[in-house]
Amino acid sequence: MITIEHLKKTYGEKVALDIEQYTVQEGDLLGLVGNNGAGKTTLFRLLLDLLRPDNGSASIDNTDVSMSEEWKKTTGAYIDDSFLIDYLTPEEYFYFVGKMYNLTKEEIDERLVHYEQFMHNEIIGQKKYIRNFSAGNKQKIGIIAAMLHEPKLLILDEPFNFLDPSSQSAIKHLLKEYNERTHATILVSSHNLNHTAEISKHIVLLEDGKIIRDIDNAQQTAEKELEDYFEIRKISPESVDTLENKL
Amino acid sequence: MVIFYCLINRITMLLLELHKHQKLAAKRHPMFDKNKFGKYSMYFMALFWMGYLLFIGIMLGIIIPDANPAMEGYHTFNKGIIFLLAIDFLLRFPLQTSPVQEMKVYLLFPIGKKKLIHFLLFKNLLSPYNLLWMFLLVPFSLAVITRLHGVSGILLYLIGWWLLFLANNYFYTFCRTLIKEHILFILLPILTYAALITLFFTTDQFSYCCMNLGESFILGNPLGYLSVLAVIALFWWLNRVVIEKVMYKELSKVEDTKVKHLSEYKFLDHFGEIGEYMRLELKMIFRNKSCRNLFMLAIAVMIMMELMLLTPTYDGPIGKDFVCTYNFIIFGAMFLSRLMGYEGNYIDGLMSRKESIYTLLRAKYYLYSIITLLPLFAMLAMVIHGEITLLKVLSSYFIGIGLTYFLFFQLAIYNTKTVPLNTTIMGKQSMNNGFQSLISIAAITLPILLSILLRYIVGDTIGQIIILLIGFTFVAFSHLWIRNIYHRFMKRRYENMEGFRNSK
Repeated sequence: MITIEHLKKTYGEKVALDIEQYTVQEGDLLGLVGNNGAGKTTLFRLLLDLLRPDNGSASIDNTDVSMSEEWKKTTGAYIDDSFLIDYLTPEEYFYFVGKMYNLTKEEIDERLVHYEQFMHNEIIGQKKYIRNFSAGNKQKIGIIAAMLHEPKLLILDEPFNFLDPSSQSAIKHLLKEYNERTHATILVSSHNLNHTAEISKHIVLLEDGKIIRDIDNAQQTAEKELEDYFEIRKISPESVDTLENKL
Repeated sequence: MVIFYCLINRITMLLLELHKHQKLAAKRHPMFDKNKFGKYSMYFMALFWMGYLLFIGIMLGIIIPDANPAMEGYHTFNKGIIFLLAIDFLLRFPLQTSPVQEMKVYLLFPIGKKKLIHFLLFKNLLSPYNLLWMFLLVPFSLAVITRLHGVSGILLYLIGWWLLFLANNYFYTFCRTLIKEHILFILLPILTYAALITLFFTTDQFSYCCMNLGESFILGNPLGYLSVLAVIALFWWLNRVVIEKVMYKELSKVEDTKVKHLSEYKFLDHFGEIGEYMRLELKMIFRNKSCRNLFMLAIAVMIMMELMLLTPTYDGPIGKDFVCTYNFIIFGAMFLSRLMGYEGNYIDGLMSRKESIYTLLRAKYYLYSIITLLPLFAMLAMVIHGEITLLKVLSSYFIGIGLTYFLFFQLAIYNTKTVPLNTTIMGKQSMNNGFQSLISIAAITLPILLSILLRYIVGDTIGQIIILLIGFTFVAFSHLWIRNIYHRFMKRRYENMEGFRNSK
């Protein structure tokens, strides 16, 4: 589904992303974790052709994303509010996005029923422009708009951000169900290890722009490995004692 | 004494800090490096105007006493104070920003809001623009005041004028803040100056009053200075009150949390994807403050242009060329010169959908061509009135939506700065690079130059027919050049997207 070859992006001296080779299989639900500045969003932007790579390429269904726009028909994405047209109401925005994929208003309304629980009666029929919604509800609008045309590839950057606990739970179920029902490939980045481990079939750990681990989570064992990895970075009380003694 | 010293010290520090931030904001603007053309042309223009004002000052010093020997030169000049103040007021619009635009970032600092407003108003007082007219007034007063009142008379006169410009400065700040809130407030300065100018022409008392004010400056009469200082104090206070009010309004942003009526433009359903983008454009224009104000301004300018045709000043062929051409490009100049700038706010969403930019450009072209029918219909009234020929109107319309829009659409490739949709009082400065400025200038001047040139070579009627054909050709092949612009946009997409993100 996705093939990455020698993909590199630098900002001045800093290497934001450097991936030699990586393939995401069709139907995978891939979680992307890493600290701030690890390169998660940069990777997503490169996959969506929103950034020019310094080197290498990213392909979706064997099409280099920078060479053709065909892949856009079957891809849905939400990275941040620069995807939202904020002077529209959510309904208008959904209809607008639907029209881009040849969906009628009736079809959109039908599909929106599926997201009713996620929207929690706070999105539809509010007679409010998107700009006046809370960050969490804007996040929901962006995610739903990305999923409305039932894309074969779904890319979501930090989808749990700004969401209340029940909405976080709802989006987890939505993504799992969507992956099982449509066999779509889903890429999700997050700082939340529990949520990522709970939904992902694979988890990729990024650090300083490089993939340092590719964990199979079929048996739901990745969370332990991830926690161990991130625990290493913490300074334990014993280390503090040792340091103090040395001083 | 110590407390007073500390207070002065703190005010100075704050002023210097604010000044430093303003300089940094300009220097670190993403367009700064790309704007060398604009920068150098600005320096050149500044030097030109200084020289020009000096020249006018010297000439006035020679001409005025000769023209009216019965009266001292400065008396004749002072009678027309109001005209210089009106020009000064008008020039402030493109040259001076409102101090309230700088406020937002400082609001969370431990500085009292009122104090901050006072600081910014004080900083406004030190604006070098308030001294611009000294290039005219110094040579003029040297020529006409020295003989009777010496150097001290000149100095006192210049101080008086400086105070007048300060009063004008605060009146401008007051009006500009209100205009940002609602475009109709533009009537405030228009009516004020119109009333004062009418007084000048209808009664002698007004011009004598101005003359006496000027003389009181020269003689160092405290009453003259105090009266101007009172006006300054009044507008200072009004500015403080208004800024404080709009500042809270801006911060709370409660204007449209519940929308009463949602325009659907259902008739556009018949036009498929292009109709959808036309609907998006209409919603953008009418649901966002800066776009809506721009649209209203375009309508106001259009009406003004129509009325100008009725005045004898625009009776000649060049005057008609001017009015006709600008009437048809006003919407383009206002909206299309910012092409893609508004879309910069949601560029990632557009770019992640196939060919959405191509459809968007086509929709924009069709919509603005339709909107340009507004001045066309308005002009038909002038045709019936006999002010202008139908051929002239049609040729101006087609050259406008043909050649001029073709040129403006090139900016879709080169505009890389996001234009805020709803900036009211805390606006961002707009900055174009050299190439963008050249395209805009070409778009505005080419049709009029073409008209003048063709009239000179082949006569008025044939010239207008040729213009009509040129315009029509551009319209007929619009799908081709829009496709070409789209391809060139896509080649520069990474650079453009980066620019939009950086300036958001």
